[in-house]
Amino acid sequence: MDISAAMPKPPAEPALRIVIVGHVDHGKSTLIGRLFFDTGAIPAERQAEIERTCQAQGRPFELAYLMDALEEEREQNVTIETTQTRFRSSRRGYVIIDAPGHREFLKNMVTGASEADAAILIVDGEEGVREQTRRHAYILSLLGISQVVIAVNKLDRVGFDRGRFDAVTADAVHFLHSIGLTAQFLIPISAREGDNVVRRSERTHWYSGPTILEALDAFSPATLDRLRPPRMPVQDVYRWDDRRRYVGRVESGTLRRGDPVRFLPSGRVSRIRAIERWPDDGVPQASAGTCVGIMLEDEVYVEPGEVMAPLHDCPAAAVEVHASLFWMGREPLEAGRRYGFKIGTADASAEVVAIEERLDPASLELKERYAQKLLESEVGRIVLHLDHPVAADSFELNPKLGRFVLVDQGVVRGGGIVRSLSLADGARPRRVIRLDGRLLADPSGMLVDLRNESGDLELAADETFLARIRAGERIALRFAGMRPFGAFLNWAWEHFVPFSFRREQEGVWVSLGAPEYASLRDHYQDGPGI
Amino acid sequence: MSLSPSQTSELHERLEAEYLDALENQTIFIFREAYRRFENLAMLWSIGKDSTAMLWVARKAFFGRVPFPLVHIDTSLKHPVMLTFRDKIAREWKLELLVGQNKEALAGGMGPSKGRFECCTALKTNALQQMIDAHGFKGIFLGIRRDEEGSRAKERVFSPRDRDFQWNFKDQPPELWDQFNTAYGDDTHVRIHPILHWTEMDIWRYIRRERIPVCPLYFSDGTRRYRSLGCVPCNSPFPSTAGTVDEILAELERTSTPERAGRAQDHEKAYMMQKLRSLGYM
Repeated sequence: MDISAAMPKPPAEPALRIVIVGHVDHGKSTLIGRLFFDTGAIPAERQAEIERTCQAQGRPFELAYLMDALEEEREQNVTIETTQTRFRSSRRGYVIIDAPGHREFLKNMVTGASEADAAILIVDGEEGVREQTRRHAYILSLLGISQVVIAVNKLDRVGFDRGRFDAVTADAVHFLHSIGLTAQFLIPISAREGDNVVRRSERTHWYSGPTILEALDAFSPATLDRLRPPRMPVQDVYRWDDRRRYVGRVESGTLRRGDPVRFLPSGRVSRIRAIERWPDDGVPQASAGTCVGIMLEDEVYVEPGEVMAPLHDCPAAAVEVHASLFWMGREPLEAGRRYGFKIGTADASAEVVAIEERLDPASLELKERYAQKLLESEVGRIVLHLDHPVAADSFELNPKLGRFVLVDQGVVRGGGIVRSLSLADGARPRRVIRLDGRLLADPSGMLVDLRNESGDLELAADETFLARIRAGERIALRFAGMRPFGAFLNWAWEHFVPFSFRREQEGVWVSLGAPEYASLRDHYQDGPGI
Repeated sequence: MSLSPSQTSELHERLEAEYLDALENQTIFIFREAYRRFENLAMLWSIGKDSTAMLWVARKAFFGRVPFPLVHIDTSLKHPVMLTFRDKIAREWKLELLVGQNKEALAGGMGPSKGRFECCTALKTNALQQMIDAHGFKGIFLGIRRDEEGSRAKERVFSPRDRDFQWNFKDQPPELWDQFNTAYGDDTHVRIHPILHWTEMDIWRYIRRERIPVCPLYFSDGTRRYRSLGCVPCNSPFPSTAGTVDEILAELERTSTPERAGRAQDHEKAYMMQKLRSLGYM
């Protein structure tokens, strides 16, 4: 009897959406082909067809051709938009969002990668980190993709040399840290020969970590949005059936029936009377990702675009936005010009007050300060002035309300993330830094480096960060000055976080968690006290 | 750690629920965004499972009502069972139904014998165009999915067509973070694709969970059933005994035949769908 037929089928697990990026010819297509091939995602007739083609042309069977063959567009010479293809592991399904490299690459990569849950950054083991490696990594950081695998490819060509792998990963990790990105896995592979992609290689005996597929299986499609402050941008107001429903999607946190709420930027206040999800008239709560209708206890006048938030944990009503931006318009972005600005469900008109930094799109080095223009495919830091206040968070605090698009002539031309904001009354809100978002993995432990931070700060961390401390993981923090350290003290006080502290010439080291503390307490509990 | 069979099936159920919720939420968001941004919307309802499931989500988005008309393009070659199903649902769900037909082409004897490409273009694409012109629709909801067929994989959620109905798939604007391109000139109408991100399996799982009524032709008469509904001359049923949604899902788990294998227009000649679609076909 076939037992597997009697077992429940694998569930419709949420598929994990992954994007594969890296320098041209570092092996993106081959890796995709290998993942398909080794997970059995290729229909037998298709494989035979490719083998025949290769044979006819007198070439060995190459995985990269597989991807080519899967794209009818190749033959058609149609410019390829993002295409999506699927494979499965024993754990779940995967969607590869693939944007093949060509002139329109940035636009397509951004469109594709903006939907991705995780990324594989592929680096040629011989060539090491190159321009596009850096550029693509930077876009991942701008898109807020924090689940990253670095795959060092083509190691068969260097005899699976560990020294070469270490050198390339050190280089890549160093660059990623400099842009605030952390790779969770560093994996030595040969996509062409299949080492450590789906099958564990016997040629990397010095490596004990996961294969690519195992690493992907360890990622989670669930975002951390639920742990962030509750926000619901109002998408529309429906006045039907003698009811006034404020509809929208809860973008972060959880809203509950009975919660007192405030709308930004108007500042209007009410309380949630009912949360509707048809055909259900009243659900007790709604978490991030859920589209709902809200009914309030008062008939308040709220416009689409406003953000509903808890009374005492609101986004800023911003008029000035400092942001990182990538520009995809054929016409350059110009300082002094106005563009449409869309964030959450709000629209505004934004003047580009300054292009503070224009970065070289290839090397990401500073090209120009206070530039007049940002060209197609370039990235920069800009300042926008809005024609009316709009509710927004910093990207670090809450990605869903900290990212925006710029629109020119009705079409999205740029994507940006909010670095900091100025309020309608001219004040600057306190900057919130998320410790979990700044955690850098390092062989000797984990580090949050805040030496570049100054000014009025507030620290925050999610539950997983606190759990790591409780679990005894080694996490160190570095500060340059007294004020950030003061912000840290507030945070540690609030969350009962033990730590040890060391002052040095150039700043402060803090080590979180203090195992010796418990024994100290036990010692003094029975004693005379201090 | 290993789970007992009952724990496993409980976990599977919970994961499936979360997964379908996520698909549904995204579709509701798109519906509401379109409703907010466009005057004069309509939904194309092919009577098939996809657009019927999509219609169900529309009712969720708008709290039980459907605040725009449904358009059915009747080529006169549809199976009578489809029309009966259409009228029953329209009555029960209180839909505003508009039926479009290219009468002129039909009077001229248009049919698949004149060529499938010509027939699809005249009886579907042109009939839709006449409908859009007559009512001045600015946005049309369509139940296409990326996994159906190659040219649909390249679609955006909001996808403009110019006056001549042309789709410029080579230069589409970026679409990111659910900030859709919704401002277009007066000479365009916009195709809106609320279930673009669903798969065939997703649709059936959702139909099962929500108990959505679907056209009886999808279920086996004992020996055969339809997997995709079209016009009688160009659509063939395939051998199947699947008589319930559960049996259909089990069958789909096993099959490697493409969904539209029974749709003749897809096989007429290479890239016919891409050509049809660039001219405005759905």
